[in-house]
Amino acid sequence: MASRRRMLLKVIILGDSGVGKTSLMNQYVNRKFSNQYKATIGADFLTKEVQFEDRLFTLQIWDTAGQERFQSLGVAFYRGADCCVLVYDVNVAKSFENLNNWREEFLIQASPSDPENFPFVVLGNKVDVDGGNSRVVSEKKAKAWCASKGNIPYFETSAKEGFNVEAAFQCIAKNALKNEPEEEMYLPDTIDVADGGGRQQRSTGCEC
Amino acid sequence: MMSDGGIEDEEKWLAEGIAGLQHNAFYMHRALDSNNLRDALKYSAQMLSELRTSRLSPHKYYELYMRAFDELRKLEMFFKEETKRGCSVIDLYELVQHAGNILPRLYLLCTVGSVYIRSKEAPAKDVLKDLVEMCRGIQHPVRGLFLRSYLSQVSRDKLPDIGSEYEGDADTVMDAVEFVLQNFTEMNKLWVRMQHQGPVREKEKREKERSELRDLVGKNLHVLSQIEGVDLDLYRDTVLPRVLEQVVNCKDEIAQYYLMDCIIQVFPDEYHLQTLETLLGACPQLQPIVDIKTVLSQLMDRLSNYAASSAEVLPEFLQVEAFAKLSNAIGKVIEAQVDMPAFGSIGLYVSLLTFTLRVHPDRLDYVDQVLGACVKKLSGKAKLEDSKGTKQIVALLSAPLEKYNDIGIALKLSNYPRVMDHLDSATNKVMAVVIIQSIMKNNTCISTADKVEALFELIKGLIKDLDGAPADELDEEDFKEEQNSVARLIHMLHNDDPEEMLKIICIVRKHILSGGPKRLAFTVPPLIFSALKLVRRLQGQDGDLDGEEMSATPKKIFQLLHQTIEALLSVPAPELALRLYLQCAEAANDCDIEPVAYEFFTQAFILYEEEVADSKAQVTAIHLIIGTLQRMNVFGVENRDTLTHKATGYSAKLLKKPDQCRAVYACSHLFWVDDQDGIKDGERVLLCLKRALRIANAAQQMANVTRGSNGPVTLFVEILNKYLYFFEKGNAQVTTAAIQGLVELITTEMQSDAKTQDPSADAFFSSTLRYIQFQKQKGGAMGEKYEPIKV
Repeated sequence: MASRRRMLLKVIILGDSGVGKTSLMNQYVNRKFSNQYKATIGADFLTKEVQFEDRLFTLQIWDTAGQERFQSLGVAFYRGADCCVLVYDVNVAKSFENLNNWREEFLIQASPSDPENFPFVVLGNKVDVDGGNSRVVSEKKAKAWCASKGNIPYFETSAKEGFNVEAAFQCIAKNALKNEPEEEMYLPDTIDVADGGGRQQRSTGCEC
Repeated sequence: MMSDGGIEDEEKWLAEGIAGLQHNAFYMHRALDSNNLRDALKYSAQMLSELRTSRLSPHKYYELYMRAFDELRKLEMFFKEETKRGCSVIDLYELVQHAGNILPRLYLLCTVGSVYIRSKEAPAKDVLKDLVEMCRGIQHPVRGLFLRSYLSQVSRDKLPDIGSEYEGDADTVMDAVEFVLQNFTEMNKLWVRMQHQGPVREKEKREKERSELRDLVGKNLHVLSQIEGVDLDLYRDTVLPRVLEQVVNCKDEIAQYYLMDCIIQVFPDEYHLQTLETLLGACPQLQPIVDIKTVLSQLMDRLSNYAASSAEVLPEFLQVEAFAKLSNAIGKVIEAQVDMPAFGSIGLYVSLLTFTLRVHPDRLDYVDQVLGACVKKLSGKAKLEDSKGTKQIVALLSAPLEKYNDIGIALKLSNYPRVMDHLDSATNKVMAVVIIQSIMKNNTCISTADKVEALFELIKGLIKDLDGAPADELDEEDFKEEQNSVARLIHMLHNDDPEEMLKIICIVRKHILSGGPKRLAFTVPPLIFSALKLVRRLQGQDGDLDGEEMSATPKKIFQLLHQTIEALLSVPAPELALRLYLQCAEAANDCDIEPVAYEFFTQAFILYEEEVADSKAQVTAIHLIIGTLQRMNVFGVENRDTLTHKATGYSAKLLKKPDQCRAVYACSHLFWVDDQDGIKDGERVLLCLKRALRIANAAQQMANVTRGSNGPVTLFVEILNKYLYFFEKGNAQVTTAAIQGLVELITTEMQSDAKTQDPSADAFFSSTLRYIQFQKQKGGAMGEKYEPIKV
């Protein structure tokens, strides 16, 4: 059972609207890129098989809506995440400033058992834009922030050119794997074992 | 529907659901670990039965759903392994349909279906079609929406999209689109139907629940937008018409508003631009209470950002005539929605204007057209009172200023002032300040009389009290701030041509004189200085040449200045007026027009005599008078005598002795101008200094009587310095003996009066002595001159 559990690694990508979360996922999973901006609604995931230390894992990558109004059902899907990827656009200062909010929001909502050591990875995306001339957040500044938050690994990426995307997700997978699974140990009480079908009488509503 | 019950109950139900789910998941895991398919199916079906609950709100249901979802991933992996071990996926697909309840059965079916498609043992489209049809079995809205959302998620990466491994002869992107559209349509129906189920009194709660569920429906549009095969043609011919058909026909305002927003956000800009007509055409067909203005604003904001992103895309906008189409659509919407509040319609115009400024910055006629449409909408109504609406108008009027950074452009827009007329006086002022700030920030010079006229018409809210404006309860600080900004503005009006500049000055004068006494103190000085600047430019010309009526001559300007300063008397602001008269007198002096200079002095003296009563103000005024008069060289002997006589007279009549003393010794300079042909009347200089000494003595004695001690000797040291000045300048009346006497006098005074030590006077005296010493040692002519003085 434990081995089956550990074959699936759940990764959540967070960040402001328009920083390239969907593009990073598409580039990594499908090796495709589109310049067009398309908002994401709700949460959506793609999976990818990854080989790691001679074992095969399924990476379940959750792409999320950056715009709050497209997150109407809340963030129950954060549960059980093994790694959280924080993305910002190196050309938009605000998206970098908001990383802290995204990180804290994640820690509150996902409430991992050991928030201090929960694996995050930060990606500074769109380094290709305008040959880097329109960049406003320096690598140094981003790295300093990452260091201050417990040495979060940092990658500069370009979803458009596929730059560093593979390396970033390798690191994401590695860190997700390091995260201790925190499945609540479920021990059925004996009465229920004896009467497995009894619970269903609780259900109300129609017969469907 | 969720039955009545508090949040606590709901928490309890959720906890029970989770417990039941975990219980069955535990046995399912055991079955998976022992490769027991039968048990795995049994327990997973029991686990999924927890999702049959009707008692949870969508939020809580989602929590339960996510747990089931995670468990199903393990089951899916198990199914995959099973098929590898030789179990037929088709058999599995049949087998799971034995589950007793339909909801668990369909979840299991979708899970196996995902493995089935992956196995490619049947065309993807057939499996997808089967699944999307089977899901009709759940007609309960919340359960149905989550089940279909599950289907959407597990099929997400198995759609026969272009370039996908599931694309084939039998499977085309059309099948993918059909599948998603069908699922979308069914989900929307479920979602809309919720509105009509349950008692009326729970409407609010129902709408809240619907709002929570909306993303499940909207996500289908996101999936469509992610299908690579949905190119512009497919979007224009199939996707958009089908989606809009569903949106329009569902006749549900919540769905219509949300889905329009989704369409705009999930599909790319190019697609919107190329299908504007279709998209805009749907707007008037929506329910009347749908907030179309927000929808359209979002569309225009998106397109504006797109236009701003790259100059290369601009031709696209022109090609599809985006402006005309948007403008037309907005007109129709405003016409159709009679009850739309003012801020709503103005908000639409703000978005359209933003769009216009980004896409067609060169088309001022478009900009004016938008403003004109706004005027039309506002006309016939009273001035706007609601704050949201006025905020929007300020945004509307600020946009062109921010774009062009040139007030000249705004002044060309005929509808600009007409929009401003619809503002209440407070907002009108805010807007006027915004205009002035724009001018200051961009250092814009306003250079023609016509523009100045138009500008002052725009900012008239600051220039005068508008009719019907409420009695001023204005904050004093705000008022000062506003008037100071008008003052700054006056300095930005300039033309190198004196004629035009004079016209500008006349226009400004006309406007500011209508401002009432409270404003004049702020606005007259900058106007005076602006006019004096013009005078300085004309200085070289002959002041008497007064040929044509309109020509700008110093004389004419001085007349204007005279009349303008006079206006300050009504304020009253005599001290300010006095200063300005003196400034004018000096300018007249430099223009060599004696009668005018004399007249300005006369006015200044009259003010001094009649209006300046405060003794401190008198001291300031008299020193200004002396200082100005000293520099005058235009006066003949007689006029000069009259004026200096007056000035010394005033000086001797100041209230406090020390003030008298200082004014009188300052008058000594009126008789000694250190120019080549300046007046040099040594005798009268000495008279002044002696008189100052007498007053200083008197002051000393008075101090003795009233305070029992001698006053400080500072006055004497000051007079000593005047002696030294004139001594050096070669006034023969000032002798070494007199200086020697004064030095000794001060020394004695200081020694005799040890108790009233004044360190600053001591320091002043000793540095004066050091100076004498220094001059003595310097040698040369000056050293010789100082030689006899002993210190």
